[in-house]
Amino acid sequence: MASVSEMYDVGWEEMRDKLRKWREENCRNSEQIVDVGEELISEHASKLGDDIWIIYEQVMIAALDCSRDDLALTCLQELEKQFSDSHRVKRLSGMRLEALERYDEANKDYDAILQDDPTNTAARKRKISILKAQGKSAEAIRELNEYLEQFVGDQEAWHELSELYINEHDYGKAAFCLEELMMTNPHNHLYCEQYAEVKYTQGGLENLELSRKYFAQALRLNNRNMRALFGLYMSASHIAASPKVSAKVKKDNMKYAAWAATQINRAYKYTDTLKRHIVHLGGHAEAAMKQYPLPVFDSGWLVAGPRRTNAP
Amino acid sequence: MALLLDSNIRLWVVLPIVFITFFVGVIRHYVSILLQSDKKLTLEQVSDSQVLIRSRILRENGKYIPKQSFLMRKFYFNNQEDGFFKKTKRKVVPPSPMTDPSMLTDMMKGNVTNVLPMILIGGWINWTFSGFVTTKVPFPLTLRFKPMLQQGIELLSLDASWVSSASWYFLNVFGLRSMYSLILGQDNGADQSRIMQEQMSGAAMAMPADTNKAFKAEWEALELTDHQWALESVEEDLMSRELDFDGMFSKELPSGIF
Repeated sequence: MASVSEMYDVGWEEMRDKLRKWREENCRNSEQIVDVGEELISEHASKLGDDIWIIYEQVMIAALDCSRDDLALTCLQELEKQFSDSHRVKRLSGMRLEALERYDEANKDYDAILQDDPTNTAARKRKISILKAQGKSAEAIRELNEYLEQFVGDQEAWHELSELYINEHDYGKAAFCLEELMMTNPHNHLYCEQYAEVKYTQGGLENLELSRKYFAQALRLNNRNMRALFGLYMSASHIAASPKVSAKVKKDNMKYAAWAATQINRAYKYTDTLKRHIVHLGGHAEAAMKQYPLPVFDSGWLVAGPRRTNAP
Repeated sequence: MALLLDSNIRLWVVLPIVFITFFVGVIRHYVSILLQSDKKLTLEQVSDSQVLIRSRILRENGKYIPKQSFLMRKFYFNNQEDGFFKKTKRKVVPPSPMTDPSMLTDMMKGNVTNVLPMILIGGWINWTFSGFVTTKVPFPLTLRFKPMLQQGIELLSLDASWVSSASWYFLNVFGLRSMYSLILGQDNGADQSRIMQEQMSGAAMAMPADTNKAFKAEWEALELTDHQWALESVEEDLMSRELDFDGMFSKELPSGIF
């Protein structure tokens, strides 16, 4: 197997900088991290200086993700030798036990950390993820709620809670969590779009109007968000097709839906390969608005947009 | 009155005093870091600070969430009977130096690292570089400043603007503060005037009392906040122009890691 440096013809400094970039952006590309990191620590350990400890941590977590227990154990042992009494290292050792599904021992580790330092957020969050891994989602939700009562500002936790609620189909509470996120990150179009999707799923005229507004906001923040564009189209058509709305609202929403459809057409014109679908889509949209109460869309179209990642 | 000073004074007095002050300041900064005791925050303090941040964010960015949600949160915080800010009272224990031993040691360390070196070195400079005029301050001073700034120079007719080396030293101590911020970063241990300000407002500023006052201030601020929904006319704004798809489909795909 060729090494990373041979395959891409890069030096150890570039590999180290790449690892730092992934660390700062919180990317979860564990296989790549393991490839690059393993080579870095086995060949160039002496040149890294003090950086090596944080690289050990990063590579260890990535190794646990890829089931590379051998590599994880090596990294952990190096860290334990250097920082024998550290809570941070103890948490890593707990994570390794979690990966091996030895949840009771992991819980003991985390409880020890919390006894020593009740403000340690990392240990609490790991305990909640143990509950999630064991499938006890109701308990995980309860624990996470208690955690958030203490640490109201933890955005990662709010996002996790919203995901848990969505899995439980409790859309109202998920919407609350997403509202917290939207307030703290008003310029993040992904949170707006996710909020709009939750509102759309909740259903009901008010929620549909809200969802249309937030899809529009997501588009305003980022013109290229295809999911939001499709969402805008769907929520507007849905409202227009509802029997309970006034004529003015119906007219407005049909206007919005038509605008969204034209924009979608324009977007697809941007690439040649999808030319064939343009006519299909354009004709479909008008026919749908005239005849069918609900627009019928292939689920494939929603997949055609850019993939939503968790990176803000 | 125009005096011509020996340029040796500049070389052997002015510059050395600058260097001495500067390096003593840097050493003080590192010593204060070494002597710093770990500040342990309680869960309550952490939690309170985050609640205050959340309330502030609600005030500033509440316009991005629907009106109902904003009102719900405002009610949670400010409700007359059991709103968070109304209901929560934290125990106020002002940390006076007598009752709180850690405060006492902190104060001692503060004094040792800052005041003591200043006195020692000031005195040493006064003793070493005495008997001559060092520099002239650019603005005229009254005769009252003479005994203070002209220590060691017994000339009755000399302008008060001509000062001795001790006053040049004190000028440096305060003047190099901005240099320290540049080199050591903000909040450094060599910052004398900040320490002195702290000592003056010092023991009166108890952290727990702050929390109660902070809650009250937030309550008032939140009462005054109204909800102006930022999304009132979002569709019109959006549809006023075509969407900008530039760069959406890039021809180049990332090939591997690098």
